[in-house]
Amino acid sequence: MSATDPVVASTDAQAPSSSSQNAQSQPAQLPSSQPSQKSMTKAERRELQERQRAAKAAAKQQPGGGKDGQQKQGGGQKHKDPTGSSSKPPPKTTAPKSNRPRSESTAVRATADAGAGDSSSSSRTGLRIFTHFGLSGLPTKQVKVAGGDLVHPAITRLALMFGEFKICGANARCIATLTAFKTVIQDYTTPPNTTLSRHLMSYLSPQITHLVAARPMSVTMGNAIRQLKLEISGSDIDLPEQDAKDALCRKIDDYIRDRIIYADEVIEDLAVEKIKDGDVILTYARSSIVEKILLRAHRCGKQFSVIVIDSRPLLEGKELLRSLSSLQSPSSPSSQSGIQCTYALLPSLPSLIQDVSMVLVGAHSLHTNGSVYSRAGTAMVAMMAKEHSVPVMVCCETYKFSESVVLDGFGKNELAPSKFSPSSPRPDSNPNLEVLNPLYDATPPSCITAVCTEVGLIPPTSISSIPLALGKTNL
Amino acid sequence: MDIYETYLGFLKDEEVSPPLAAILALTEIMERSNAGTTFELVEELKDGAEALNKQSKNPISLNAGCKLFIEFITLFPHASAKFSDIRTELIQQGRQYVAEALTYRQKIAEVAFDFIKDDSVILTHSYSRVVMQTLLMAHKRKRISVYVTEARPKGLGIRTAEMLTAAGIPCTVVLDSAVAYAIEKVDFVLVGSEAVVESGGLINAVGSNQLAIIARAASKPFYALAESFKFHRLFPLSQDDLPIHNPSLFSFPISQPKAAPPMNARPSVFLPSSGETSTDDAESPIRFTQEQIAQNNPEVDYTRPDLITLVFSDVGSLTPEGVSQYLVGMFTG
Repeated sequence: MSATDPVVASTDAQAPSSSSQNAQSQPAQLPSSQPSQKSMTKAERRELQERQRAAKAAAKQQPGGGKDGQQKQGGGQKHKDPTGSSSKPPPKTTAPKSNRPRSESTAVRATADAGAGDSSSSSRTGLRIFTHFGLSGLPTKQVKVAGGDLVHPAITRLALMFGEFKICGANARCIATLTAFKTVIQDYTTPPNTTLSRHLMSYLSPQITHLVAARPMSVTMGNAIRQLKLEISGSDIDLPEQDAKDALCRKIDDYIRDRIIYADEVIEDLAVEKIKDGDVILTYARSSIVEKILLRAHRCGKQFSVIVIDSRPLLEGKELLRSLSSLQSPSSPSSQSGIQCTYALLPSLPSLIQDVSMVLVGAHSLHTNGSVYSRAGTAMVAMMAKEHSVPVMVCCETYKFSESVVLDGFGKNELAPSKFSPSSPRPDSNPNLEVLNPLYDATPPSCITAVCTEVGLIPPTSISSIPLALGKTNL
Repeated sequence: MDIYETYLGFLKDEEVSPPLAAILALTEIMERSNAGTTFELVEELKDGAEALNKQSKNPISLNAGCKLFIEFITLFPHASAKFSDIRTELIQQGRQYVAEALTYRQKIAEVAFDFIKDDSVILTHSYSRVVMQTLLMAHKRKRISVYVTEARPKGLGIRTAEMLTAAGIPCTVVLDSAVAYAIEKVDFVLVGSEAVVESGGLINAVGSNQLAIIARAASKPFYALAESFKFHRLFPLSQDDLPIHNPSLFSFPISQPKAAPPMNARPSVFLPSSGETSTDDAESPIRFTQEQIAQNNPEVDYTRPDLITLVFSDVGSLTPEGVSQYLVGMFTG
């Protein structure tokens, strides 16, 4: 607690400045967009931290401060109640405001893209029940952080790529983030009168905020950043700065290697065993690990064909189709041809599923209750496969595990940016017509046969024992 | 030394099941090994396990034993400085484990006993030592009656019936095809197991799967009995995915060229050539012998976890999900 406290305090110190800045720059206006869930929780977290600090201060003022922490907190809350009730709304109101530049910039971008900025922003206001979904957009101006530092160019660049969906997959985003952080850490110098292990995280958090503003954080990034925070707070104070930075960069490299690259290789080995000659493998959209598995199986000389099911808005399957069908072995480019592929859109799934021997899909995250959060449409494919008794195997590294329960795709989701919206039925042609493109959905555990992870093939009901399998209690 | 012969020798003991025989065969390898390091020893054991796997017709349950033992040796803390000491220690541990494992059936019988009510009617499948022990124990204190399936092609159900009747338990043999008829009279289904796999599913003598499906359709509980050494890190996605699967299973016989229907024709039902085929039959009557049928059929099948109510084992009564969590913890923790 004592080790993390200063970090917490310093992030807090920046919070009011940035929110007030936003409040100034955005005069009274109806919130065109509600806060994304991430920023909501951030605001709530901030509020909680503030309350805790207040509680601590209150406890210090009280003469008999020997009670245990919980009592202190409870007492502090009560003590602060008159002000607490008034201080509760501000974060909630500032949160949408802090979000507004983002949504406006989306609108501006949409205008630039297609000249439909007004309609897209008006459509956003209409979708009240989905406004908690994260919206992707681009922060146009660079966010000032406390101390006058700017967001690191590597992060600005990355945020642009996230916002434009140039880097889209969960693995790709995690690797890109960690790689960018390596640059940021190397360019960082510890200010005087502070230590790296205490100050670096406060330097990184606005960078993270900037990334999250471009696109809501993925579970993979969250897990990786949590691990990074742990490493930073645990780094030795007495270490020379450059050595400490190098050590952190090494830790980042190790994380990428162990949790993603090696994990993928183990998953490939396990999954390729399940592909037999004559199989028809069905996959949905595009997952980097599924692509690797199919290519590896092909290299192993297995005779199988692939059905790529795809759907709007992203149409990622096209990319997979291209890489699978244009395959040529480097040793004998003439003799080997690509994998035999069929490409179809989601509505034609029922007529294709009967011939399928296995469904292979990737995932965005795994959840404690066994559900798999993945590209919108995956749940439908899995349900259809279950209906036809086709085994469904989800391929996923364990670092995508999230200790939360996801019951449906409504509690938490993300909306595709307007540039992926269909062009023909424009929302402006009918004022009552709105476009909603959630990016993810949750597949219930009952529709999944097996989850292929680097700890082995496990049934979805055992997802909750992944931390146990990794021999630790927290990821 | 031929490891498979050694294995078969251990298997002759009525009480020893394949995984335990495999463990004993591996200790025998250790006994004769002249490996200098643990790594070499493990390599030797892996070779031995591979040889057993290749020579056995149905290697699933012996693989479970081999994997368990090799895993145990890899994780064994090397307290002693001298390797020969470690080796003797390991051999002793292996034998001790087997001796202990032989008491597991009694433990399982005690766990399962609580689930058997007085005046129960139990349906069981084929012959299983652990099921026998449980039923005999239940008979001592409760009134039970047993239906047992015939379990073709080996017909081991008859053996079960004979032994139970000799012990004084009312017992009737049910045809494999009559299970759906008999299920209404049954209170629950109790089967043994060849292996319990990571999905929480069951691998057992062929026919268990249909028993489970029928039990589910009739809303009767389906209990499986399994010693913990039969827990196996294997995840079959379908029946075809079992290690015993080979292309000759359920293959169609190569038909005589005469009897082959002309190209483009649909099945012979639509053909007005019944007279012709009858003459063919007269020339060379096609007969299916029991041996041929047995050869073309699998020995074991895979029961999905969602059809299983509980798995009774020496580590307690587990749900299928519990089995998979236990397995994940056992082999990685």
